[in-house]
Amino acid sequence: MVFRTTRTTRSTPTRVAIAAAAVSLTLLVAGCSSGRTDTADSGTQTLTINKAFDLKTADPGRMYEPTGQLVDKALYETLLTFEGGDVSKVVDGLASLEQSDDAKTFTLTLTGEHTFSDGTAMTADDVVFSLQRVIGLKGNPSFLLDGVTVTKQDDKTVVLTTETPTPALPAILANPALGILNSKVVKENGGTTDETDTAEKFLNTTSAGSGPYVLDTLDLASQVVLTANENYDGDAPGYGRVVIQNVEGATQKINVEGGSADVALDLSGTQAEALGDSVEVTSDPSANVIFLLLNQNPSVSAITSNPDFVKAVKEAIDYDDLVSIAGTGTAQASGVVPSMLLGALPESGALTQDLDAAKADLAKSGYAGESVTLNFPSDISLNGIDFPTIAQRIQSQLKDAGITVELAPAPVATELDAYRNGTETMGLWYWGPDYPDPSDYLVFTPGNVVGLRSGWAEGANPAISTLADAAAAGGSDEERQSRFEELQTALNADGPFIPLLQPGNNIAAAKDVTGVVYNAVWTIDIAALAAK
Amino acid sequence: MSTSTKAVRSPRSRGGRAAHPFLRYALRRVLTSLLLVVGVTLVTFVLTNLVPGDPVAAALGQRAAEDPAIVAQFRATYGLDQPLVVQYFTYLGNLLQGDLGVSTTTHNPVVDDLAKALPATLEIALGAIVLSVIIGVVLGTIAAYRRGKASDHVLRVVSLAGLSVPTFWLALVLYYVFYFQLHIAPGSGRLSSDFTTPPTVTGLYTVDALLAGQLDTFLDAASHLFLPVLVLTLYTVGLLTRFVRTAVLEILDQDYVRAARAKGLPTRTVIFSYVLRGASIPILTVVGLAFGSLLSGTVLVEAIFAWPGIGSYAYQAASHLDLPGIMGVGLLIGVMYLLVNLIVDLLYGVLDPRVRLAS
Repeated sequence: MVFRTTRTTRSTPTRVAIAAAAVSLTLLVAGCSSGRTDTADSGTQTLTINKAFDLKTADPGRMYEPTGQLVDKALYETLLTFEGGDVSKVVDGLASLEQSDDAKTFTLTLTGEHTFSDGTAMTADDVVFSLQRVIGLKGNPSFLLDGVTVTKQDDKTVVLTTETPTPALPAILANPALGILNSKVVKENGGTTDETDTAEKFLNTTSAGSGPYVLDTLDLASQVVLTANENYDGDAPGYGRVVIQNVEGATQKINVEGGSADVALDLSGTQAEALGDSVEVTSDPSANVIFLLLNQNPSVSAITSNPDFVKAVKEAIDYDDLVSIAGTGTAQASGVVPSMLLGALPESGALTQDLDAAKADLAKSGYAGESVTLNFPSDISLNGIDFPTIAQRIQSQLKDAGITVELAPAPVATELDAYRNGTETMGLWYWGPDYPDPSDYLVFTPGNVVGLRSGWAEGANPAISTLADAAAAGGSDEERQSRFEELQTALNADGPFIPLLQPGNNIAAAKDVTGVVYNAVWTIDIAALAAK
Repeated sequence: MSTSTKAVRSPRSRGGRAAHPFLRYALRRVLTSLLLVVGVTLVTFVLTNLVPGDPVAAALGQRAAEDPAIVAQFRATYGLDQPLVVQYFTYLGNLLQGDLGVSTTTHNPVVDDLAKALPATLEIALGAIVLSVIIGVVLGTIAAYRRGKASDHVLRVVSLAGLSVPTFWLALVLYYVFYFQLHIAPGSGRLSSDFTTPPTVTGLYTVDALLAGQLDTFLDAASHLFLPVLVLTLYTVGLLTRFVRTAVLEILDQDYVRAARAKGLPTRTVIFSYVLRGASIPILTVVGLAFGSLLSGTVLVEAIFAWPGIGSYAYQAASHLDLPGIMGVGLLIGVMYLLVNLIVDLLYGVLDPRVRLAS
């Protein structure tokens, strides 16, 4: 007797599985909800931005990375700010500024009735708490307010005082790291003005500011979602929802061309050149300055500490060639201060190639063909430019002048030590402004941070130190401009640094997105973007 | 992959009854794996701390790193001011409580970071391994059966190509073709930007979307899986096809298979009941290895497809010299390997009694 069914009939487990799947699918379709957020209403329209993340936190008091600046600019307002891409002039933000002639007292008066995203009114107490918290946390941005005392004058006024002239303070106050927090909410969630503060976790889930957007979700590895702040005092932002995704450059290019991203922020010059007609590209020199340093400490290198050798290297480099390999948007750096900042040296002051002079200076220096080591971070790509590419090109250019260079690449995490300890013979690095003021570049003088990294101790060049002291003293914009120009001219002539490039910052956006303007501090103002 | 080759002793329980051979075999393998986990912690800790470079310099901004007070606070917070031996035993002690330390990059507990990243990697790795096994076994068996014929040569070339093509290049090309040119696949990431993440239950978006009853989210998440799974599958299929072919060829030469074929048994019966059964242990071995390498080798694929899995996390941790993060990922991958090996070894015992009784 045969009890089994024929082979063509499905077995019981298979039938059960099929039936279960069919029932589940039916139930699902019948009772399903939607996970989609977009509607026809433009107020909830989603803007998608692609950015290669270096995000560590959304807490303004601890944030000091480009992605953090981009995000916090949308969430928090600052006392002073910049308009569009012009970072050479500070304008009123939440407050107006009155500054003493000696640049030691700064009186900030709230410009209106500002409210936080929970509807609470902003007072001077919130300002004092926010700034004191940045100082007390001892986080990455704490140095911005080094030596600054914050006091409340009345409910609308806060006074900042410094012991030494600090003409850069207004530009510093425009940094999103100094965004004003809702002190009551932050204190309720562990906020203090010292190292015991535990509010970071809260500020990574909920924003407590008065900016055009509020934080919806933050995933440091993959994406940040912002939604419009219903209590925002200014004009409502163009998009109701913004998704900032962590995507690397090559994929960003395909995404923005294909339409799954509206804005791509990290395209190299070459990628930007190859984009189709469906996207608009904004190319500007970035505020990063790539430079070469030659160590002035004879115990590190007798060759690079020779002034004639330094001069020869400056004359041997083909700057135009370096600009051409870096692609769209890139410019030669005239001095250490980037072109968009007050105090930048005009193009006419930039170093130029002169191979004959290089050979003559090389002969004077007594250089006999010894190999000189060039250290650089092998895994850094700045605005799409790889450091190894620049290093190789410099090696070949210097070879034409008779200088033998040995390349010594290393991962940035390991090479940083040698750079910061001042033990590199020749180094290829970059400096991005901590704040958009030329005083940030006084680090390139004898005895200061980058000066020491190139073995340039205090007193190594008294003439340059005198020029640096004059530039640090402040003064009118015109005075500061001419003093910094003078300083950089002297640095180009006698300093151990060779300013090379300001790599291009290329932003690609879909054609229906308006308001894309590059800003050296926060890359773009997300709230200024709108659909055509 | 280790198969126990020593004879298993037959200790008797207190009551005098011998424990079941499989139970003894399994217990022995579990204990060995636990010892290996301790070894993994030591290796990851030593290697991580041997890396030249100061995690403080990598974690702090240029200016903050110049401030001795901030540097001292950072070192104290992350226990970097302690001698290495003390750091290791503190690490081990914390590990026993499920604490992998706090990431110097994200400031989150490493356990939380990994718990978020692992499901993303598992979602593509599981999909890729299932597809690879099905395709690899079929193609490998066909190639073995058609040994020396045109189809065998073609399959060998195809599998070699799958193994040789760099995965990041393949990923970019497939992304360009399927997303940009053919519009079959969606953009990068796990979900389109106009969708919200489904409520987290398992961390697998497809499963969580179904549990939440969000069919559109499920379909979107599933469509995002297509390309990364395809890339990983193409690589793994090459490996499996070659290996299955070799294993099947070996079995085909066995007397019992010849006898079965000579008796005139249908090909399907010969393949499933004799050949594949005989080849199952070597195939299982390579499947375990392939799954392990999938878990640890998704870095570039995750980078291209903006996939926030453990590969992306490992890359981020390494580039920031985030020691707790690096050790966490190293330990996780090590444990996953050991777990897969353990499962494979236990399956040996199930499939082949000779393994558990004595070998």
